[in-house]
Amino acid sequence: MLEKIARPDEVRRWPGGMPVRHRYTPGVGGDAFFAALRERGVLLGSHCAHCGYTYVPARLFCERCFSELSADTEVGPGGELVSFTIVFAGIEGEPLDRPEMLGAVRLDGADAVLIHRVLEPGEEPLEIGERVEVVVRAEAHRTGSILDVAGFRRTD
Amino acid sequence: MARRVAVVGAGMTRFVRRAQETGKELAWEASREALASCDLSLDRVDAVCLTSAPDAFDGVHMKGEYLSDGAGAFGRPFMRTYVGGGSGVFTAIQAYYTVASGMADVVLAVAEEKMSSTQPHPQGAFLTIFDNVLERPLGPNLLWIFALEMNRYMTVHGLDKRDIASVAVKNKRNAADHPAALLGQADITVDDVLASETLAWPVQRLDVSPISDGAVALVVASEEAARQISADPVWIQGVGWNLDTAYWTNRDLVFPEYVANAARMAYDMAGVTEPRKQIHVAEPYDPFDYKELHHLEGLLLFDRGKAPEAARDGVLDRKGDLPSCPSGGLLGVGNPIAAAGLMKVAELFWQLRGEAGARQVPGTPERGVAQAWGDLMQVGTVVVMGRDGGPPTTARRLDTPPVATPAISLSDAQFRSATGAVDDAIGAEYEWDAGVAVGRFLDGLREGRIMGRECRNCGRVLVPPRMFCERCFRGTDAWVRVEDTGVVQTFSICHVSWDMKPLEEPLLPAVIAVDGSDGGFLHMLGGVAPDDARVGMAVEAVWKPVGERTGSILDIAYFRPVGD
Repeated sequence: MLEKIARPDEVRRWPGGMPVRHRYTPGVGGDAFFAALRERGVLLGSHCAHCGYTYVPARLFCERCFSELSADTEVGPGGELVSFTIVFAGIEGEPLDRPEMLGAVRLDGADAVLIHRVLEPGEEPLEIGERVEVVVRAEAHRTGSILDVAGFRRTD
Repeated sequence: MARRVAVVGAGMTRFVRRAQETGKELAWEASREALASCDLSLDRVDAVCLTSAPDAFDGVHMKGEYLSDGAGAFGRPFMRTYVGGGSGVFTAIQAYYTVASGMADVVLAVAEEKMSSTQPHPQGAFLTIFDNVLERPLGPNLLWIFALEMNRYMTVHGLDKRDIASVAVKNKRNAADHPAALLGQADITVDDVLASETLAWPVQRLDVSPISDGAVALVVASEEAARQISADPVWIQGVGWNLDTAYWTNRDLVFPEYVANAARMAYDMAGVTEPRKQIHVAEPYDPFDYKELHHLEGLLLFDRGKAPEAARDGVLDRKGDLPSCPSGGLLGVGNPIAAAGLMKVAELFWQLRGEAGARQVPGTPERGVAQAWGDLMQVGTVVVMGRDGGPPTTARRLDTPPVATPAISLSDAQFRSATGAVDDAIGAEYEWDAGVAVGRFLDGLREGRIMGRECRNCGRVLVPPRMFCERCFRGTDAWVRVEDTGVVQTFSICHVSWDMKPLEEPLLPAVIAVDGSDGGFLHMLGGVAPDDARVGMAVEAVWKPVGERTGSILDIAYFRPVGD
C-alpha cells in the first residue's frame, strides 16, 4: 500500500523550530542562595531537622518530608571529591583545546553534592575521596550566578 | 470491580502572572496545602500523579521529572500524564484509576504550570501544534483555531456576541470572590468585553483567559482510607475522556462530540441518566468565553446552541439554576494551563463540601461535573463528583476558604533584575518531511491539482489525504482528484501575530471544505474585503503561476469568492 520513496535525497524538508526563549529565575530558595553568594561569597544550604539532611543550594522545601526550609546553613568551603570526569569533547562532539575537569563535591556540612569545575589539578591524577575547597571569585566580579564560584581546588 | 475513590483534600497557590517561585516550589506549595487540608503527612502518600503542559513553557525538558520533588514524588511511584489543556482534569482521572485499581490507597494529584518563563510569548510553544508542512507556512497564530471555531459556532446557531461575552463577565465577577484569582473584577460589564481590542475576530481581548503561573493539588484516596482521613469525602463517581480526529479542519467545529463522548462515559459510570437534573454545579473549561458554552452543550447540559441564552438569562450564575464556573474559571481565576483544569476539580470538591466561602453556590449541591479540553484541541476530559446524601459536615470552614496564599507575584522590573536569573534558548531546530500522503498531495499542488485519498469502507474522500483511514483503521484505497473550489466553513479576521504584535493588514484565515471531498484544510481568503467574508461562501483556489510553484501549501496563493 505504501509507496516508498526510492531516493531519500528527493524528500522535501521543511526546516523550522519553536521560537521560544526562556528566562529562568531562581525562585525562593535560589534567591537566598545567590544573594549570599554575591554579597558574602558563601554557599548556603538548607537543613531539614526532621530528615537530618542538608541540601545545597538552599531550598524552600524538603523533598523527603515536605517541611518548609530556609537558607539556614553555611556549607564548605572545604569538601570531599565524590566523583569527577574529564571532558574531551564539546557539545557538538568537537575536540576541546583543553580538557575540562568537572567534580561532584560534598561540601563540609552538606549531604547533597554540588557540581562544578575542578581548577588546575596539576600533574597528580585526581582521586575520588580527596579534599578540595570552593574558590569564590573576588567580590567585584560576582554577579549572583553559579559562575561566582570559580570552581573546586584540591587542598592537599 | 473498581474500588470507590474519593477526594479528601485540595490546595492551590494563587494564580499570578509571574511567580517568584520556581515550578517545583509552586507544586510544593499546592501539594503541602492539599495535605494540610486533610491533616495528612507526606509519608501517607503511596503514589504521585502529576501533570504539566508543554515542556516548552518552563523550558525544562522532562519537566515532569524536574517537578517531581515538589509534587512529593521522592521515592514513590510517579508518572506525569499530559493531554495538553485537558491535562488538569486528566490528572484527577489518573489518580482515580491508580486508586480504583488497587495500586495505591492515597495518591497526590498535582498540576503545575509556569508560563512566564517563556519569551517572547508562550504562544511560540504552540506553533508546532499546527501541521508543520500544511499549516505553518501560512503563518498561523494559535488564536486562529479558537476564532475559527467561535465564528462557526456563532454563525451556525445565529448567536449574539453579547450573550457569549456575558460568560466572561460572569466568570470575572465570580473570580472577584476567589482569594487565588488573577483577574477577578466585580464591576465588569458586557460592554467592557465588547469594547476590548479585537485580536482575531470574533475573539477580543476580554474573551480570552490570561497567561498565568500556578499550581493545584488534590489528595485522592480509596474508600477505606478516605473514611479514615475525612469525615466528608467527595466521591469521584465517574470519569471519561475521548479524542476527536487529529485533523482539526476535519472536525465538526460546532459541537464538541469528543466532550459529549467523554461525558457519556463519565455519566454512565456515575449512573447519571438525566444530567440536566442530576448535575447541580458545573466547572466546564473556559479558556475562551464561547468555550464554556460549547462545553456545556458537549456535557449534554443544554441543547445545541442554547447555552448562550442561558448565560444571558442568568441560568449559569452562582445563584442560577445551573451554576457554571462558580470559581471564576480560567477567565477570572487565571489559566496556568494544567493547573487551571485541576482547579476546576478542586472547586467541585470545595463546593460539594460547602467550603467555598463567598463562592459557595446556594442549596446543597450533591453532584457536579468538571471538564477540560486540549491536546490538538480534540480531547475532552470529564470528572463527575458527588457526596453522600445529607448536608456537608465540614461547613465549619465557610469563613476561611481553603486556598493557599503563596505564589509571590513578581513585577516586570523584579523579573528582569532577578539575581541568579539565566536567559537561554533551547535552540531546538528541526527538519520536517511531508510523509507519504502529504508528499503526494504537495506534488499535486505543484501541478495545480488538489488530491484526496478515498476510503472505500466509509466512503469518505480524505483531505488532507492520509494513507490510512483513522475511523476504519485500514489503508485508504485510491487517489482522487477533487475540485479546487470549496465552501468557507468558518473564517477569522486576525489582527495580531503569534507573539501578539499588531499586523499592518489583517489576515483572513479560513477552513475551506473542498468540493468533492469530505474534508478541508486551513488556508487564507483573498480578493474579498474582510467585512464581505461570509461563512458558507463559495470560493475557488487562486493558484500561483506554474513557474513559481514549489510543491507547497503556498502553491495556492489564497481562496477567493467564486465568480470574482
